[in-house]
Amino acid sequence: MIRVTELRKLFKVTRRMRKELGASAPEGDHIAAVDGVSFECRPGRVFGLIGPNGAGKTTALRMVATMLKPSSGSITVAGFDVVREAQEVRSNIGFLTGNTGLYDRLTATEMVRYHADLHGMDEEQFEERKRYLFATLGMDGFADRRIARLSTGMRQKVSIARTIIHDPPVIVFDEPTAGLDVMTSRAIVELIRTSRDAGKTVLFSTHVMGEVKLLCDDIAIIHEGRLYFNGSKDEFESQMTQGTYEDEFIHLVGEA
Amino acid sequence: MGRTLVIAKKEMKDTLRDRRTMLLLVVFPMVVMPALMLLILRFTERQAESADAEYVEIALIGDEYAPGLRQAVAADTQIVVVPGVRPDDVRNLIRRDSLDGAIVVPSDFQDRVDADAQASMMILFQSSRSFDVTERRLRDVVEAYDDEIVSGRISRLALDPDLFDAIDTQEVDLATLQEVLGQQVGGFLPYLFVIFMLTAAMNVGIDLSAGEKERGTLETLLSSPATRFEIVVGKFLVISLVAIASAFAAIVSISLVVRFGIGEEIPPEIMEVIWSILNVKVIAMLATLLIPLAAFFASAVLAIAIMAKSFKEAQGSLMPLMMVVIVPVLLGVLPGMELNARTALVPILNVSLATKDVISGTINPLHLAISYASLFALAGLSLWFCVKWFSREETLFRN
Repeated sequence: MIRVTELRKLFKVTRRMRKELGASAPEGDHIAAVDGVSFECRPGRVFGLIGPNGAGKTTALRMVATMLKPSSGSITVAGFDVVREAQEVRSNIGFLTGNTGLYDRLTATEMVRYHADLHGMDEEQFEERKRYLFATLGMDGFADRRIARLSTGMRQKVSIARTIIHDPPVIVFDEPTAGLDVMTSRAIVELIRTSRDAGKTVLFSTHVMGEVKLLCDDIAIIHEGRLYFNGSKDEFESQMTQGTYEDEFIHLVGEA
Repeated sequence: MGRTLVIAKKEMKDTLRDRRTMLLLVVFPMVVMPALMLLILRFTERQAESADAEYVEIALIGDEYAPGLRQAVAADTQIVVVPGVRPDDVRNLIRRDSLDGAIVVPSDFQDRVDADAQASMMILFQSSRSFDVTERRLRDVVEAYDDEIVSGRISRLALDPDLFDAIDTQEVDLATLQEVLGQQVGGFLPYLFVIFMLTAAMNVGIDLSAGEKERGTLETLLSSPATRFEIVVGKFLVISLVAIASAFAAIVSISLVVRFGIGEEIPPEIMEVIWSILNVKVIAMLATLLIPLAAFFASAVLAIAIMAKSFKEAQGSLMPLMMVVIVPVLLGVLPGMELNARTALVPILNVSLATKDVISGTINPLHLAISYASLFALAGLSLWFCVKWFSREETLFRN
């Protein structure tokens, strides 16, 4: 369960930013990357945070994963507060982004093992979980190969394995399929589905409408830090005035 | 502590597998450095030898007024007298490098010598030319000639030679060979320590901080239950360790060069002193000076490099650190700089000065203690700052 309430994140506007933004620069000292956002992701459902680049998706997810602190508002993850109980939150989260890197000089097993160790898993727990994940993801063939020598698809599988090695109840994906080929993104899509079926809370951000239609149970549309829609996919479809998801999205955001 | 060790272990494994870094950290101090040292040593030896062996071409102007000068010149077989040089040309020829130098004798020379007066003689040379060989050679010749004339006068007047040599100075150097070596070698070693440790810290430090950002692995690490403190300390430990290992590699390789590379050219009594210096106590004292220094380098590099978005940017922003660090080392070799209660407070300068005294065996325990305290305080402070710095959102997510 993830509960986000009136979330706000202000960034200081530097002189350089002001110069780059020109006329569109904000008047005050700060700019709100996320501005009064509230939503709730429930177990056994996939929640899609949808928005164009620069909408505030990554900032919001980084706050959920405790990397950034909210300027105001609150977030609880699996019952823990992201500011006061950050470490517990991180123990209950698997966090994956489209450009999360891996350590090239480690092998697939070592990479996954590193994260298991950081999560304090013991040998037995790790072996069991590793056996299961490597078999399901088809990683046994390259388990001991250095990551530098793996294909993009193989790397993505390693990323997935390290994200969920500790079997977290909450999984957060920030544009997990960005820049991936069809085959590789399918592995991610599969992971999202199985996680949902296993009763996990899944939160993911994307700007690919096809994925939204395919995967999401609940949807929030974010643009310039504010929510423009928040509800179930069924509700979204029933209030659609345009023919496709894309058109509806542009319509919603464009109206603003 | 558990997760700190997990991070440190992984970073160490990662670093050891990085061929480029290992090449720089091991091959450079162990192979390239000693090779360079040997080369420079041999080159300067060869230079000095060839300067001694070089023939010096000179002109004798007015030597007919100084009978016996020719014999004095002939005593130095390395001096060639070019005949037939006109007095008016001699300065030009020397300026144009056609001649190395000349001795000019005035016409009244012999008259003044005969009158037991002081006669003069002029030596022409160019000091800008190699090692002042010409000047030294010609002065020796003239002095030998002078001695000859003076001893002729002494014996003619039946005087005691001691009359003109009132004081027989006896120099007694109470410094032990170890102290002399300590001041000479001890000034040079801190350079190596600082350069090797800083290079090592920079290379590994950049990889473990800006490198993580560049590869996109930092976010992964930050989303794990490890706290910022654990992450910083884990990385810090590995960087410090590699820095110390690099300094150690340099010491080992220098010892090997001394032992096997130039061993036979060093007089046995000096070799004996060198080996007596390399005892457990001295090495332990040097190591304890280097540990806090490595810790300071590690945290300083980490704090600066984590700001950068890429490897390249980090390298650029670390250059000023290199400058700041080199200055106190340079100050340490200035003559007259000594380890005292005040200089011991200045980090890095105290390492430079204390190294000399440790090797000489003349280290003052109080000054050493102050040096340790100052270095550990600096290391602790920079680590504390590094952790604080690492916890700032602006540092980690600068874009």
